Amino acid sequence: MSRVIAEIHRRRFLVGAIALAGVAVALGPSAVRLIKDFTKEANAIDPGTRAAMVRMARLLYPHAAIPDSVYEETLDQALSSIAGNPSFANTLRIAERALNAQQQTNWIDLDEASQIAAMKAIERSDAFITIQLAVQVKFYNHPAVWAHIGYEGPSFDNGGYIGSGAGVVSWLPEGQ
Amino acid sequence: MARHFELSDASVVVVIGSGAGGGTLSNELAQKGIDVICLEAGSRLTFADIENDPPLMDQRMGWNDKRIGPPVWLCKTVGGNTMRWSGVTPRFLEHEFRPRTTYGLLPDTTLIDWPLMLGELAPYYDKAEFKMGVTETNGIPPFFETSNYKVLRAGGRKIGYKEFTTREAINPRGRDGRPGCIQIGFCNEGCKIGAKWSTLYTEIPKAEATDHFELRPLCMAVKINHDASGKVTGVVYLDQNGQMHEQKARAVAVAGNVIETTRLLLNSATSKFPNGLGNSSGHLGRNYMRHVVTWIVAVMPGPVNFHRGTREAGFILDEQYHKPERGFVGGYLIEASAGDPASLPGYLGWGKPVADLLANYTSLAGAGICGEDPPQATNGITLHATERDQYGLPLPVIEYAMHPNSTAMQRHAINQAKAIYESIGGADARAMEGVQLGCHNMGVARMSARPEDGVTNRWGQAHDIPNLFVSDGSVFSSSGAANPTLTIVALAIRQADHIADRMSRGEL
Repeated sequence: MSRVIAEIHRRRFLVGAIALAGVAVALGPSAVRLIKDFTKEANAIDPGTRAAMVRMARLLYPHAAIPDSVYEETLDQALSSIAGNPSFANTLRIAERALNAQQQTNWIDLDEASQIAAMKAIERSDAFITIQLAVQVKFYNHPAVWAHIGYEGPSFDNGGYIGSGAGVVSWLPEGQ
Repeated sequence: MARHFELSDASVVVVIGSGAGGGTLSNELAQKGIDVICLEAGSRLTFADIENDPPLMDQRMGWNDKRIGPPVWLCKTVGGNTMRWSGVTPRFLEHEFRPRTTYGLLPDTTLIDWPLMLGELAPYYDKAEFKMGVTETNGIPPFFETSNYKVLRAGGRKIGYKEFTTREAINPRGRDGRPGCIQIGFCNEGCKIGAKWSTLYTEIPKAEATDHFELRPLCMAVKINHDASGKVTGVVYLDQNGQMHEQKARAVAVAGNVIETTRLLLNSATSKFPNGLGNSSGHLGRNYMRHVVTWIVAVMPGPVNFHRGTREAGFILDEQYHKPERGFVGGYLIEASAGDPASLPGYLGWGKPVADLLANYTSLAGAGICGEDPPQATNGITLHATERDQYGLPLPVIEYAMHPNSTAMQRHAINQAKAIYESIGGADARAMEGVQLGCHNMGVARMSARPEDGVTNRWGQAHDIPNLFVSDGSVFSSSGAANPTLTIVALAIRQADHIADRMSRGEL
């Protein structure tokens, strides 16, 4: 048993699967090339959208000690890894528009509590879920985040965790 | 060494799917000298292809083709889901083979008893445990106690539980040509050293060594053909270049896991079988069960570092029994369950509470629940009326909703798991509720005593068709509380005995 990305509605899963796997729709090679060229343009989001989405990424998983640069890299990785799916950049634009629409003003200028409220208002939308799932995977696989939370990652090259702390729970009383 | 059979060779058994059911059946038949071809939609990975990288391995071995409905967690690879599974191997209990008799008629369910009893399957469970190297059986020591399991056991004892086990199909030390576990901790991304049992590096190569077996990877079965008398005669499949072939067959065993097994049989409909091959009862694709599933994590008073080791290294049995005073029928298992950071938010949501929990990652302990899920008429797999996939096949549509019995069981299990962690100082316990994650899949071609109640008989043979078999979890008449793989393997070993027996009497 293990985990797959959670979802409540059917649409959520379809959107999440694309984000998580980063798998291009199965197309012929020349079609994929065309889409990748298109993607470079489509993925170039404007600075306003970018700033809003970096902020959204932080509010999705807010770790105060993690600098903005990590959230920016998270966003960049999500944009580049979903090559062949030019709609991700479009999804970011859709989400930005939806957030701006919540209080009829630029979401980026709101106070944090209002920003979070706006996010909650759209959290069941396909756009939100796509972004949430992409950020979740990229952010919590970022080396800086691993270092911050103490996750040590792959172990095979070090011979597994058998000699590196596996089985140790020092605070449990003896015999438990 | 591996054989190569001609497409026109009608003396072979064709098995579709190379996972727990298909891989085991293939090897068991080959060991008896019966010629077998196994068609597998996925590719054949090597240990070098396995990396400690969940998103990458999801691309390499996941079944990521479009499906409509709640998520399933399945593989398209040689080995099937035995590449992804956690190695947990409980047996079914006696009452779980007769839930209709034991629980009565639970409203809004299609409960039936299996057409076989635990006593008949027990010797095959013995063989499966020997084959897979299950710890605490056959002289194999208990599995290594991970930190996460120790925490679960300590809390479990504190609240009065008594039955703990580390029954895993993972070598604690070298056995059967495979090494002992070194606590890599990426069990669900393929075991990079082969300590965890998977047909990729056990049943498949053993079958090849018999000279009676051919594996054809990257071959997607699309239709099963039959003759005028209703016997199956061959399997149509697409090879990796998109070329279509028909492999003639003496008998066909379908083991594509629940979705592909359903899709293939429905897609093989003809005028003689208008509702799908072997579906005169109308039960194909229906009675779909997923188990009652939830996960709980808690922040413990000190470091657990549950990433340092086997993801699911032990479990608690006390709640597996049928104790209706708890407010539901059937039981559940509480299994120590760890996860890498990126997997946890998936069922916890987003925002400061989630980030704060993950900031405590090294102090997290976690458990997963696996509980009996009753079959319902409204849960099932069908074919989309118009949308098709890259193979030209209709998309599968999955419909599943939890029964009130399952909801009550889930609630109880969450309360118990929280109590476990809180009893030894755990705090901030979070659980997954009302969210659907992919897990186990069963029931869509269920065994039944009466043909009108299911799709297959007590041997997994289609009621309608004497030489068509189903060999995966689709045949389960009930889900029980147990993770399904051990039972699938036991049934496959038994099915091979049955097939060989009928062949020797000229009946197949």
